[in-house]
Amino acid sequence: MIMEFNELKEVWDAQDSKPLYQIDKNVLQVRIANKMDTLLHFTSISEWTLILINFITAIVMILLHPFRTGVNLFIYLEAVWMIGIVVYLVISCIQRIKASRRFDRSVAGDLDHTLFLARYQVRIAQIIRWNFLPMGVILILSGWEAGKLVSVSTVILLSFSLAFYVTTKGYQVNRKRVAELQALKEKLETEM
Amino acid sequence: MSEKEQREILEEWLKLHKGLLFKVVRAYTMQDHDDLFQEIILQVWHSIPRFRGESAVTTWLYRIALNTAIRWVKKGKKFSTAESLDNVQHLLQENRIAVDERLTWLYAEIYKLDKIDRSVTLLLLEGFSYKEMSAMLGISESNVGVKINRIKKQLIAKSKNYDHGI
Repeated sequence: MIMEFNELKEVWDAQDSKPLYQIDKNVLQVRIANKMDTLLHFTSISEWTLILINFITAIVMILLHPFRTGVNLFIYLEAVWMIGIVVYLVISCIQRIKASRRFDRSVAGDLDHTLFLARYQVRIAQIIRWNFLPMGVILILSGWEAGKLVSVSTVILLSFSLAFYVTTKGYQVNRKRVAELQALKEKLETEM
Repeated sequence: MSEKEQREILEEWLKLHKGLLFKVVRAYTMQDHDDLFQEIILQVWHSIPRFRGESAVTTWLYRIALNTAIRWVKKGKKFSTAESLDNVQHLLQENRIAVDERLTWLYAEIYKLDKIDRSVTLLLLEGFSYKEMSAMLGISESNVGVKINRIKKQLIAKSKNYDHGI
């Protein structure tokens, strides 16, 4: 049977009235699971790195006492502050692991888990970022007490500015990740 | 233009016009639908800051999609897709259940045409004018006319051999 061109056009136009596409659920599941595994791995590493850095620095501060000009209470205060951060990070880590158990291994569960991890990263990055402010003030005060205000302040300003910049970048990356995951979740809720 | 604005525009365009992109993908590749679709989305993304609203969005999207598809075929499907937009649109696949057999035949016939004729056929079926086709494809209106006459005759003649589902 011969189809005239207008019939061909009708066949062509009819495709617009039907859904032309659907979500490839297998690819989606693999992609979200990979994303979650990567974030989980990164979260564990960053938690342990922060815990170890703070713990080791606090111990070194107490044992070596950098300024060696008698008792400098501000150094001990700084060390106690850092131990406090370690405690906070350990508690957060335990709570995170406990909370992770409530997510099942479905597409939605993995996506919620990934979103939870990304938000957790944002919270930790935010806290660590602003934590540099009181830490810097305490260290400057310790330098002032030790009579090395200018040199200590300069070192603190430079090193903490760098650390603040790095953590801010990490914070921004995680904020972006949360927004993307949230958008993905909303899209899936409307498209699936 | 901020990345956020660019992303919002892309989302909006895909929401309204992704069917159009699927048509181009389907006409230009039989197997690598996902790869070409991703490449087209990437090119559309890059094109957004250049869009000044001087043409309709559909015209703009067709132009980007057809050019990308033509280059895709020319380069033997060897585009680098290292750059990737992390977007659910990439996970979309053709809904085979909804496909009409006559449409499958029509796509197969379009696929047999050369690169430019495929573009002309798609634009013709989408109802674009000779002038618009000429601007999009960079060929003269008279050339478009000649091609359209030939393609129409060709498709009608080939439909003789098609006898399913009518």
